[in-house]
Amino acid sequence: MISRVAEQCFWFGRYIDRAESTARLLQVTRTLVFDADIPVTQCWRPLVIVSGELPSFVARHGEAAVGNGDIIQRYMTWEPENLVSLRKSISAARESARAIREALSLEAWEEVNELYLWFGREDADRLYRENREHFYRRVRNSAQLILGLVRSTMLHDTPMSFLWLGVMLERVGQTARILDMHHHTMSLETQHQIVEVALWLSLLHACSGHEAFVKKSQGRISAHSVAAFLLFDARFPRSLRYCLRSACRIVGDIWPDGAQRPSRTQLAELSDWLDTQEGAFAPKAIHDLLTRVVDSTTEICSHIGQEILGPPETATTAAQAQTNQ
Amino acid sequence: MLFDGYEPIGGTYDELMDVHGQPRAHARRALGVLSKLSAPEFAQYQSLAELSLYNQGVTFSVYSDKQGTEKIFPICLVPRVIAAAEWARVETGLAQRLAALGAFLDDIYGEQRILKAGIVPPDLIMGAKFYLPKVHGLKPPGGVRIPIAGIDLIRGPDGTFLVLEDNVRTPSGVSYVVENRLVTKRIFQNAMEQSAVRPVEQYPSQLAETLRSLSPVDPSDTRIVVLTPGPFNSAYFEHTFLARTMGLDLVEPKDLFVDDDTLFVRTTHGPERVHVVYRRVDDAFLDPEFFRADSLLGVPGLMRAYAAGRVALANAPGNGCADDKAIYPFVPDMIRYYLSETPILAQVDTYVCARPADLAYVVENLGHLVVKAVDEAGGYGMLMGPQASTKERDEFRQRLRAEPRRYIAQNRIELSTCPTWDPRKGALGPRRVDLRPFILTRPSGSWVLPGGLTRVALVEGSYVVNSSQGGGSKDTWVQKEDAA
Repeated sequence: MISRVAEQCFWFGRYIDRAESTARLLQVTRTLVFDADIPVTQCWRPLVIVSGELPSFVARHGEAAVGNGDIIQRYMTWEPENLVSLRKSISAARESARAIREALSLEAWEEVNELYLWFGREDADRLYRENREHFYRRVRNSAQLILGLVRSTMLHDTPMSFLWLGVMLERVGQTARILDMHHHTMSLETQHQIVEVALWLSLLHACSGHEAFVKKSQGRISAHSVAAFLLFDARFPRSLRYCLRSACRIVGDIWPDGAQRPSRTQLAELSDWLDTQEGAFAPKAIHDLLTRVVDSTTEICSHIGQEILGPPETATTAAQAQTNQ
Repeated sequence: MLFDGYEPIGGTYDELMDVHGQPRAHARRALGVLSKLSAPEFAQYQSLAELSLYNQGVTFSVYSDKQGTEKIFPICLVPRVIAAAEWARVETGLAQRLAALGAFLDDIYGEQRILKAGIVPPDLIMGAKFYLPKVHGLKPPGGVRIPIAGIDLIRGPDGTFLVLEDNVRTPSGVSYVVENRLVTKRIFQNAMEQSAVRPVEQYPSQLAETLRSLSPVDPSDTRIVVLTPGPFNSAYFEHTFLARTMGLDLVEPKDLFVDDDTLFVRTTHGPERVHVVYRRVDDAFLDPEFFRADSLLGVPGLMRAYAAGRVALANAPGNGCADDKAIYPFVPDMIRYYLSETPILAQVDTYVCARPADLAYVVENLGHLVVKAVDEAGGYGMLMGPQASTKERDEFRQRLRAEPRRYIAQNRIELSTCPTWDPRKGALGPRRVDLRPFILTRPSGSWVLPGGLTRVALVEGSYVVNSSQGGGSKDTWVQKEDAA
């Protein structure tokens, strides 16, 4: 498959999943503000922190705004200066999709295009103002529909593998960041059980994992069990373990000969390392664990970027390999 | 109902209606269904069609607009219907024309017999902007220089088809033919069934087979790619459309490289050889080694691989000297010279300003002539004499005297009209149309897509149909057989 197209497929997957994840996080945080008896600032501030955009947010809107849900939502939804805003993710996804137009199925492309066009129109703005819940849901539905269409209308072949690899690695980052949002609450032995439970529930919602968790835990909610679920559950499609193992498998599908490829080695190492953390896992140590996962994932993504470009072509070897074709 | 009160323009042929405003025989079946619609119903269908094209991203980018705005090529849902017998004649005429143009290019880049015989003035060729002396003597792999052609036709007041212009470099527009058909089929299924329309959906597979037929290796081992300048090109949608519908990779120049006179594409599994390139980039941007050292665009060494016979390029570099507008007047002579046949399709009388006598006439008679730059397309670089202001005419007169080789002039033809939706009036009105059929040529012969792109000047009174100048398009229905 053409290297440039592979790279765009990878990024397309990341942008779409990022858009869905961002919309979900905004939606869940709004609810958290209503549900839990915690200061509004404590609900919104972590969201800006985990997006990695706190410095530029403060520079634009001032320190006082980090507790302001309206400003934060506008920032995370509309502002093009914010590299992870919904607007930015959706237009980047559409730009990638246009560059790989012939690799995507018509159905998937149409949905991407419609989402992009809608987002740029007055209707989107009006819905945002009049029915925020519905607005986030509309973005999430589209993103989920696109990913579903990708799986049900495209060949399960290399382009889809790259796309899905992007989705999985984006999810590793998203889940890790969402978990990290309230890590300080995990390390404090707080006395406020109701607040805590509200926070854990919101974490689970933020990862679309509430129902899955409840099935597994039969209703018992604690910092430990929620964190362990999002980190280690092998069957929950947004847990770190699940996403890392999937990514590892996909890289193996793409390059069956690639045992020595740095991305595959590192993915396997990270996944194995995560396994070793399960036995002695303590919620207090979660921030360090997540930092390691996020950093390693960033490095792995950059290796994948290099590997997509293929082995460096010394011209003569290429010609020799191909003379008979 | 929809066609009530429709009046063709006097002195102009209407594609669907006779002079009394009655449907022509071949269009009766198609119009039967359409004419039962009311204007508001039709308006509703129009907006559905436009929304559907927009959502699908069936768009072109506007060059003059730095924002990279994408526009849909507006479609009018009233089809242009062509009778079977009439089309059969057009088909034969186009195949004949392509045979002559192909022979001409082989000759120009070979023995140049036609110049020596004094049929085409050598100066015209040597002065043609797109003549490439460097490819002289090169035999194109596959042997066909014009696998893909688009020949623009118009219809004069007497209803005869005339060739207006040849496009044998990288003609575009075929994707709109197929996409428009998808839209009309969805909306007017009944009308289509009753009208017995010849399908157009086979174009991509015909094109793929045509490209494969040029391969320097066994057809089944052939790797074909579509080469695009990238997403910012105005025809990018079409490039993706062709790649997608043929199941081929769409590549940009930076995806390709040449080693040992062999073309490779960079893949996730290392370099892989490419045998045929359907290139949608201009000659000048194919290969910086060959064309312009200052250019960063293109694939260095591509022309070496081509010269070595290791990769076929569709269309062949250097074709531009055959569709130069100053060469166009000589095509009937080419047909007689190379094929010893009488030209089947007539064409428009043309003044070649490179000839002093023609120039003198043109300069004196700008008021009723259409002047065109020989090397421009898309409706750029032209003067519509009858509509132009005195100032514009004076300005053009100076340009003509400064660079006569760059211009030709023709009498303005009363282009035929077709009933077309006017959203401002909420009714149909006669608007001028042309037709670009697409012709695919393999070593074994030519195939003509039934129909082609009907472009329509949406503005009342306008004669310019180009998409860049406010033109739209129509689905073109070639009848399977003529209605009784």
